[in-house]
Amino acid sequence: MSFFKDAQKLFQQNIREYGMYIAFIVIIIFFSFATKGLFVSSRNIGNLVNATSYIAVLAVGMTLVIVIRHIDLSVGFLAGFLGAIAAISMKFWLFPSYLTIPLILGLGILAGLITGFLVAQMKIPAFVATLAGSLGYRGALQLVTSGTGTIIISDEMFNAIGNGFIPDIPGSGILPETHKVTLLLGLAAIILFIIGEIRDRRKTLSYNFEVISMSMFITKLVFVSAVIGGITLVLAGYQGLSWAAVVLLAVVMIYSFITTKTVLGRHIYAVGGNPEAAQLSGISVKKITYLVFGSMGMLAALSGILYASWLRSATTIAGTLFELDAIAAAFVGGVAVAGGVGKVTGSILGALVMASLTNGMNLMGVGISLQYIVRAAVLAAAVIFDVVTRNRGK
Amino acid sequence: MALPITIPIPKEKAMESKAEATPVVEMRNIKKNFAAVQALRGVDLVLHHNEVLGLLGDNAAGKSTLMKVLSGAYIPEEGEIFIEGEKVHITDPWHARRLGIEMVYQDLALANNLNVAANVFLGREVVGSQLGPLGVMNSHHMELETQRLLDRLKIDIPSVRLLVERLSGGQRQAVAIARATAFDSKVTIMDEPTAALSVAAISKVLDLVRELKAQGASIIIISHRLEDIYQVSDRMVVLRRGRKVGDCPVEGDIDEFRERVVAYIVGARDDFAEEEVNSVG
Repeated sequence: MSFFKDAQKLFQQNIREYGMYIAFIVIIIFFSFATKGLFVSSRNIGNLVNATSYIAVLAVGMTLVIVIRHIDLSVGFLAGFLGAIAAISMKFWLFPSYLTIPLILGLGILAGLITGFLVAQMKIPAFVATLAGSLGYRGALQLVTSGTGTIIISDEMFNAIGNGFIPDIPGSGILPETHKVTLLLGLAAIILFIIGEIRDRRKTLSYNFEVISMSMFITKLVFVSAVIGGITLVLAGYQGLSWAAVVLLAVVMIYSFITTKTVLGRHIYAVGGNPEAAQLSGISVKKITYLVFGSMGMLAALSGILYASWLRSATTIAGTLFELDAIAAAFVGGVAVAGGVGKVTGSILGALVMASLTNGMNLMGVGISLQYIVRAAVLAAAVIFDVVTRNRGK
Repeated sequence: MALPITIPIPKEKAMESKAEATPVVEMRNIKKNFAAVQALRGVDLVLHHNEVLGLLGDNAAGKSTLMKVLSGAYIPEEGEIFIEGEKVHITDPWHARRLGIEMVYQDLALANNLNVAANVFLGREVVGSQLGPLGVMNSHHMELETQRLLDRLKIDIPSVRLLVERLSGGQRQAVAIARATAFDSKVTIMDEPTAALSVAAISKVLDLVRELKAQGASIIIISHRLEDIYQVSDRMVVLRRGRKVGDCPVEGDIDEFRERVVAYIVGARDDFAEEEVNSVG
């Protein structure tokens, strides 16, 4: 029975994280049955990922902003505004997409640094500073689109980001109905994951630190491999991995790495946990604030690019309420309102949960008003679960 | 930077050669005003090697202000500070730490959302490899070193991976003190280390202070609790209204000691009275 005991112990230690994975799986299973398999069809999952990506990248940036005890309400319209600038850049300035994208990302960083300046240097509460930013970028978006209305983007390379798929090996004859490159990538991901976990375990053991029991370890490997394998199979059944998914995966991997493995990540969480202690330890709270808002600005630009590319156009209302969706995703994903706590991967999962709810309920034909109420309940439930489990741990 | 940092184990013999002659800390004629209030009116303070000094006084006597001057949080209007005989101008807390002056603050010492090892190495993370501007941490090394540090100081914490918010008040204080003494610190200042602790936890913290002294540390303790000072200190300095009124070894039995300290604190006794006449005049 030691297996179940181990499982129970592990579950109790990580109740918040595992609870969310389980909730996500329950949602997927529920919608799969309720929509007679339509929800987990390759095509729907592919669309779901594309439609989540622009909120998910914002949620990643928002996670860090909330971790350092701030908030950013400006990123929705900033994304919309920068999407419009991207469209203008390609349509009227005739910049190619490979120049437009870096330009937009650079503008995003600049916008983020301006917020950082207001918050870190001028000591304006982030809520106020970014509320002003939100109004300003909304005005700016309307201003640049006032003459033209919706700007249609015709650059194929740019539009591929939100709609296209990674190329496949052409006509090899084997597995004709599946996307072979996606399968190979999925397989590579599983192998890399297993090798990484085994190496990590060996290293931890060599330092004589405690590791989870062998049976739990194997269960974990099998479970995660099955999840990656399942997603890969589903995606490979349609047109394979979309570029939006590639962008999202890259953002998650880079930000996960920075937050968990690097000194910078450690300092971000230290500032969130105790700014005075961080400052006394020689960490510049100001510098961290600039960096976090700068990264938020860049991710807002990326969000604007993904959205404009997905719609193949820049609209006059692009970005409306993105920031609140991102904040909700972060909170559902386990980011603590008080700061200092929250993982990038959690927020991505939060974004996927919220998007799955919308998507699943749409497929079921649930009315929009009821959808809002269900999403409200999920957000509240997630935060209540958070508070209860955290208090019990003390 | 890429070399792993090991927490140095103090070499008591090496310290003896330097000891005795030059004090580890010497503060001369420190003055500090807050608007019209003279918080410190020319205080002298000496801390010798491997000495535990108790700093006493009523509220607003200037003990915390004096220690904040030493730890770089306040810049004094007047006065000189010498660390191991060398004159220094401390500009900020981080500068003080680089000079080997570590202060354990009452509440703001640790980040509760991080684990024990992360807190001990906060701001001094060990970098395993460099990836452009990003330093990749060597977490295992830091955890191992933290475990060694805790073992050496006989601090009982189940795991260095435990989040600080999961620790008891006494354990937190122990981690804060361990962290302050971990890296080549010359002097450790403890501001009310036993405030808000249970009786059992207080005795553990005092044991830790004794252990540190046995391993060669030089320590200044601020405390309201006279028993704490009596139990661990070699010498005491008493401040009253921004002036030093007493500076003598801790000796005799506890009642005698208490009586003497109270006399200093309330102003019934003053060993430096003449200086006040001079400075006022």
